[in-house]
Amino acid sequence: MRQPLSLSARRSRTGYLFCLPGLAFLALFLAYPLLYNVWTSVHDVDLGQLLGGAERFNGLDNYRAVAGDPAFWHSVRLSLVFTLASLVLQFTIGFALALLFARPFPLGGLLRSLLLVAWLLPPVVSGTLFRWMLDGESGAYNALFQAVGLSALSHDWLTDPSTSMAGVVFANVWVGVPFNMLLLLVGLHTIDPELHEAAAIDGANAWQRFRHLTLPLMRPVSVTVLLLGLLYTFKVFDLVFVMTGGGPVDATRVLSLYVYEVFFTFFRFGQGAAAGLLLLVVPLLAGAWYVRRLRHEEEAPAGGAR
Amino acid sequence: MRPPRRPWLWTALATLITAAFLLPVYWMVKTGLTRPDRIQTPDPQWAPTPLTGENYSTALGYEGLTRALFNSLVISCGVVALTLLLGVPLAYALARIRMRGSGTMVLALLVAQLPPAIVLAAPLFILERRAGLTDTYVGLIAADTTLTLPFAVIVLRPVLRGVAPELEEAALVDGCGLPGVLLRVVLPLVVPGVVATAGLSFLIGWGEFLFGLTLAEGPEVQPVTVLLNSFVGQHGTSWGALMATATLVSIPVVCVFAVFQRFIVGGLTAGSVRG
Repeated sequence: MRQPLSLSARRSRTGYLFCLPGLAFLALFLAYPLLYNVWTSVHDVDLGQLLGGAERFNGLDNYRAVAGDPAFWHSVRLSLVFTLASLVLQFTIGFALALLFARPFPLGGLLRSLLLVAWLLPPVVSGTLFRWMLDGESGAYNALFQAVGLSALSHDWLTDPSTSMAGVVFANVWVGVPFNMLLLLVGLHTIDPELHEAAAIDGANAWQRFRHLTLPLMRPVSVTVLLLGLLYTFKVFDLVFVMTGGGPVDATRVLSLYVYEVFFTFFRFGQGAAAGLLLLVVPLLAGAWYVRRLRHEEEAPAGGAR
Repeated sequence: MRPPRRPWLWTALATLITAAFLLPVYWMVKTGLTRPDRIQTPDPQWAPTPLTGENYSTALGYEGLTRALFNSLVISCGVVALTLLLGVPLAYALARIRMRGSGTMVLALLVAQLPPAIVLAAPLFILERRAGLTDTYVGLIAADTTLTLPFAVIVLRPVLRGVAPELEEAALVDGCGLPGVLLRVVLPLVVPGVVATAGLSFLIGWGEFLFGLTLAEGPEVQPVTVLLNSFVGQHGTSWGALMATATLVSIPVVCVFAVFQRFIVGGLTAGSVRG
């Protein structure tokens, strides 16, 4: 006869049952497709095979084709430019706004929440909106430039290949700033105000206090915010797709749009899968580093600002 | 920080910055309310005078807009339901029950948020097509839930951990099974957290674009985000109607955010900073 299960064993069995539906779902709709992508990437798959032919194993041919495609390397460069420019700008502006909103003043909370609307709008909406804002003939920004006498800056930003990347980065920074601000604000609130008071009594001016107190104490939070920013920005698809579709003449075809084009426009599934897996490298590396950092922090919880 | 000496001066500065920052949002609403013949001028008006609803009636007259709004509503509600149904038990088990492998599961849920949507959209397109799930609500809801579920569990876990274990133990001793404890004792105590998670999942489902673009071909299930994008191609210069549509798509987002603002801000920071 079987031993009756102890209470804790029964509990953990129920626990597994609780996990089962969610994990099964993720296995089926997330893990399996991603693994299937690996399989596709080493096979010769196009639309014909998809509709009922035999896929042929072709080893690393797809990867070779991607690595030999100048458009791929062009996209890699564009993704780097897009990500770096967005990160630097949204972090700097977000930090400045966080410093402003860290002070208690009337309506501070309300204004801070209003800023978040920019981040929450669906990317398709913000993309369409910035197409209109940056429109060459009657866009609001150009009108604004003209109104303040800077008509030299008035320009059809998105249709000129030399400025379309700047336009897309501008919109992406607009979306990213509130999120950066919010997280940095949480970090600023963990700094003990007495430190600032003590430094002020010792004769440190505002800049010195910022440089030697706030900045070093904000380092851990800043690294987290930049890393999350990297993960989000590198993924961006919707905003760029809606604003420029990768054009004009591929001037904004960042990696995610390149993968989309190979897969959904040219229907080269094997090659698209290979390019997609290459696109995974950056987030996985960044994510692994992030998780290591989190663990490190949990082991040493007294590490200043969280 | 110490209260500044002239707080209203800071309010004025912050108001100015916020207003400048939100100019695009104002411009969207304004353009939607401006008479079409006054929109595309080299010298735009800063206020919509006279106000007009013309752009809205044009937009709602476009084929498929009401249907697409309805589709988005169905999809987002489906995403919320599926996310909570799968996520609450999972988060509860990971928060409360000592199990082997729970650390690995949490790690897997963090990693699950990393892949760019396009990397998932590509194989899902092939697999859902074979399974006959493309062009169905189910296919889109399932795809969107891969985005919301890992996030929801990460946000809900600390919330569920905050419930006093004594309450659960008392209920267990009273002969209530674990599902009963979760439903009748724990959930009523964490309504705000669950509601915030539902709100965030709704926002993600409502704003989702790539899966809608790749997994739905016909207008029967296509979400409104995809339709808005195709409007830009079809009615490229009717900015009035386009901005009216964009405003219509944004209204639910702003409403959800206004209602759950406090929880969402808390949930976001909890979910991202602490992982």
